[in-house]
Amino acid sequence: MDIPSPIIRLAHCVLFGLLGTTSGAALRAQESKPAFDFAHSVVPILKAHCVECHGGHRHEGDFSINTREKIVDSSSAIPGNSAESYIIEMVTNADAEVRMPKDKPPLSEAEVNTLREWIDSGLPWEAGFSFAPRNYEPPLRPRRPELPLPADGRTNPVDRILDAYLAERGLPRPAPLDDAAFMRRIHLDLIGLLPTRESLQEFLADANSAKREQLIDELLADNRNYTEHWLSFWNDLLRNDYAGTGYIDGGRKQISAWLYRALMENMPFDQFARQLISPTPESEGFIRGIKWRGNVNASQKPELQFAQNVSQVFLGLNMKCASCHDSFIDRWTLEETYGLAAITANGPLEAYRCDKPTGKIVEAAWMFPELGRIDPQAPREERLGRLAELMTDRENGRFTRTIVNRLWHRLMGRGIVHPVDAMQTEPWNADLLDYLAVHLAENSYDLKQTLRLIVTSQAYQSRTVALDEPPAGPQYVYTGPIAKRMTAEQFVDALWQITETAPKQSHKDVAAFLTDAEKKDRTNYRASLVSSDLLMRSLGRPNREQVVTDRPSMLTTLQALDLSNSPLLAETLSRGAANIAERLADAGPTTIIDWLYESSLSRLPTAQERAVALEVLGSPPSPQGIEDLVWLVIMLPEFQIIR
Amino acid sequence: MNSNKRFERTPQCESAATRREFLRAMAAAGAATLMAGEPRPLRADEYGATVKHPMAKADACILLWMAGGMAAPETFDPKRYQPFEIGLSVEKVMSTFPAIDTVVEGIKISQGLENIARVMDRATLIRTHVLPDLGHILHSRHQYHWHTGYVPPQTVAAPHIGAWLARVLGPINPVIPPFINIGQRLEGHGEAEEVKAFTTGGFFGSEYGPFNLPFPEDATMAVRPPKGMNAGRFESRYRAYQKLIKESPQVEYVSDYQQGSMLRAVDAAHRLLGSQEKSAFDLSLEKKDTFQQYDTGRFGRGCLLARRLVEAGARFVEVTTEYVPFLHWDTHENGHTTAERMKGEIDRPIAQLILDLEDRGLLDRTLVILASEFSRDMMIEGVPGSTARDQSRAKTDVLKEPIHYGLHRHFTGSSSVLMFGGGTKRGFLYGETASERPCLVTKNPVSLPDLHATILHLMGISPKTAFEVERRPFYVTEDGKGQPIADLIA
Repeated sequence: MDIPSPIIRLAHCVLFGLLGTTSGAALRAQESKPAFDFAHSVVPILKAHCVECHGGHRHEGDFSINTREKIVDSSSAIPGNSAESYIIEMVTNADAEVRMPKDKPPLSEAEVNTLREWIDSGLPWEAGFSFAPRNYEPPLRPRRPELPLPADGRTNPVDRILDAYLAERGLPRPAPLDDAAFMRRIHLDLIGLLPTRESLQEFLADANSAKREQLIDELLADNRNYTEHWLSFWNDLLRNDYAGTGYIDGGRKQISAWLYRALMENMPFDQFARQLISPTPESEGFIRGIKWRGNVNASQKPELQFAQNVSQVFLGLNMKCASCHDSFIDRWTLEETYGLAAITANGPLEAYRCDKPTGKIVEAAWMFPELGRIDPQAPREERLGRLAELMTDRENGRFTRTIVNRLWHRLMGRGIVHPVDAMQTEPWNADLLDYLAVHLAENSYDLKQTLRLIVTSQAYQSRTVALDEPPAGPQYVYTGPIAKRMTAEQFVDALWQITETAPKQSHKDVAAFLTDAEKKDRTNYRASLVSSDLLMRSLGRPNREQVVTDRPSMLTTLQALDLSNSPLLAETLSRGAANIAERLADAGPTTIIDWLYESSLSRLPTAQERAVALEVLGSPPSPQGIEDLVWLVIMLPEFQIIR
Repeated sequence: MNSNKRFERTPQCESAATRREFLRAMAAAGAATLMAGEPRPLRADEYGATVKHPMAKADACILLWMAGGMAAPETFDPKRYQPFEIGLSVEKVMSTFPAIDTVVEGIKISQGLENIARVMDRATLIRTHVLPDLGHILHSRHQYHWHTGYVPPQTVAAPHIGAWLARVLGPINPVIPPFINIGQRLEGHGEAEEVKAFTTGGFFGSEYGPFNLPFPEDATMAVRPPKGMNAGRFESRYRAYQKLIKESPQVEYVSDYQQGSMLRAVDAAHRLLGSQEKSAFDLSLEKKDTFQQYDTGRFGRGCLLARRLVEAGARFVEVTTEYVPFLHWDTHENGHTTAERMKGEIDRPIAQLILDLEDRGLLDRTLVILASEFSRDMMIEGVPGSTARDQSRAKTDVLKEPIHYGLHRHFTGSSSVLMFGGGTKRGFLYGETASERPCLVTKNPVSLPDLHATILHLMGISPKTAFEVERRPFYVTEDGKGQPIADLIA
């Protein structure tokens, strides 16, 4: 049972009730209101009475309240002086003909007083807030764009769209990626591992012109490694982990086993989403959220977490703001958020505005009734089932656009809509986004097909472009793929791979769901199958308390410090050096250097690099020399950045 | 080796300029941070006015964290003393220690804190810190609330107050991590995950997160080349690294902002590991008698380490008595004995820390705060009328054995906070609590947002400071509503 914070407030009332005395400071604490609350007390009044005629596109009487500047510039309110402010005069005028709002009941005394207080306290405004309508509204339904004609035999639909995009802007196509760099990138992107030296050499020697496609198909068919790489992406997104807050007292449930199976089977994404929204006992952890004991803010009740997470994960929408009040940053309202929350609620759900009850019971509903409605009278399981259906409806283009955009972001370094959880933002290429979305639906929601479509394009198989600054802003123009930083798991897996130091045991919860057959031929386990450790945490494996859709792109000082001297890493390097020495026991220093470069960077060192490495390694190579050389290589930007 | 070598702090006006520059640099880096969806400082408050930071009265901050709920009646707010007596009704127990005088007339504290009593003339003592009971007492959740200013769960990862200082003010000495966390193990106990949840930089990312030193005596390991690597090898490894970077043919395909940030980070880390300042982490460089003065346990040694780090230019240091369920201040039973031991652990080092800082001329510009997530009471869980479940393990109506003797319930109605230096008043008592149960505030309640606002104000940060996270403002005090308490400021 949740008793939100009126209890807390009550406690304060009790406290003040007991005061009896009226000491100065107590009075101050009691009387002085903290900073005036524009968002929660003024906006609702303006919305109810003024915006219809003086907000958005409308500015009756040449007066708009869209922004603070507009109000101040029109002199209709004088900050600090409500008595002489025209707005107050207009809403309190005794003459019903003149009084605002026109032809409507007047504002209540309390509302007028709030406006007075607001003006007297200087007309505070929420930074960036405006009643002006947003000028872009993403389409709901899927759309099949017309593909431009292929240029120069580049037939992949992604290339057809992007080649035309670049040509229109007079921009050059990015240069093609060489085989070795492709080999490294495609391995890390699809299965999260480095190519071995042997497979690299074999690939380079292969004269078959279809070898890249063949390799792509092989990697996508490597279910185990595909799963154990993408597991981290999904764990972040579905905030699933082996340990974390909430597990301590049953306030949280893992979906690890379900997720692992779903990825192994390459479950179609529509089915995947349906099983998360309308779950089985194995997948219910996602919609259950995290429940802490005690009172939580109304906006963080499990039902509201459901609304926030379902909308963020599957639609890239931010309903966090709209969990407290109508959102200032997009179109979502408090009522829409509670409607979504009510789908999973076990009983009537009362809306709270900014943690205060509104007295209004909100019926189950979802935000896109044009696709179909949810019967609020239906039992919970039916409502969830219906939401699952509607979410994955063929006509819900937002659902497919959101996931293909996430995959594009992972592979190409930046979303077509960016940030990936701001899907209300205009894409830099709607045709590309829409095409990928339609393609997914038409390929039975097979995510591997989307990955395949992208990575078989010439666009993906291009050199990364060097940018002057991060490609964040709305002015972004695509010029080619962007290098990505390895995730903590990729880094650790790669290190374990080179040094043969991966753990021999998985997390116990993983051991419990892997089949005997899956365990039988395994000698070690990957980063996604073990608990986060200090090193991985330091490198950005998140506490999965919130949905995470983007890992930090830059190395920080504390991370670099851990990479320089963490005992965990030092120990791995020392074991690893011994393994390498044993593996290359009869080899000379040059062979060791070449092997390490090819295994780690998918290329041979230059003569200069070899000379530096030789100095480090010593001749004959010492274990310390190997240790240091491995450290040097894994610390190169070239190693940690997937280019 | 001059272990007392001090980092020269920038004078006040320059430090304001430094912050401006820092903010300007951050603005330049704004685009960079956006890439990772990282937060951007909001420059204007809701009036459209530029957020004005107050003039800092302190440069550095040390938070002495009494983890687990320090009973105010057994420490800084003594009530009627009731000796142990078999058969005595537990209702009679207010304090299990007599009160002692301090050097400030009119301020009495609990027996066992004699050393702190002698430095009370440097302190501001708040007895009326009021915290919500949150409906169910879970220490880590209340600690999350105290450290971040927000009650979990939250829709975004709320930063620790140390991360706020690190992010807004930056380091004092660029070599020393700006947020250092001493004494808390993050693995191996029941609520470790919950403690981890607030021991982070939150949405600011790991750059502003804690540099964790769970064992003060081993702190030097954190800033030393890895075990088994001598300084010479460490240096030549780094020289080889720079050469390899220079030789790498691949630089052109990677953006400068990615590569540059990486190399800068590696360089900064290397500078710390090779710096003079790293000796600040080494307690073995202290004189033996000084070390002994602090050496009451891990907390005491943590205080010594904090002093050394602040001397070297740390911005924010937290030293905790460590939270482990049912240990230390978390006295669900046998409270009297435990409180006696805990006081023995904190009394000498805290007093010595204050004297040492003063002796080095650092106290005026170093804000030291002692606080806890709530207080304790013999009878009341939460506050009167609370729905919080009683968690005492020594339930009884009358005292039968020593295990029953002590304050075993979590009391949120009033707790004590001690502040020293950094622009606070000296020898000053603020607030008053009832002398009989319930020991609620009778004068001058201090809420968490206001306490935080006061700390931030002294550090030169407006309580309205906000960052844009997921396109909405996130304030350093809850919704920007904390207000500094003028009475506490000298």
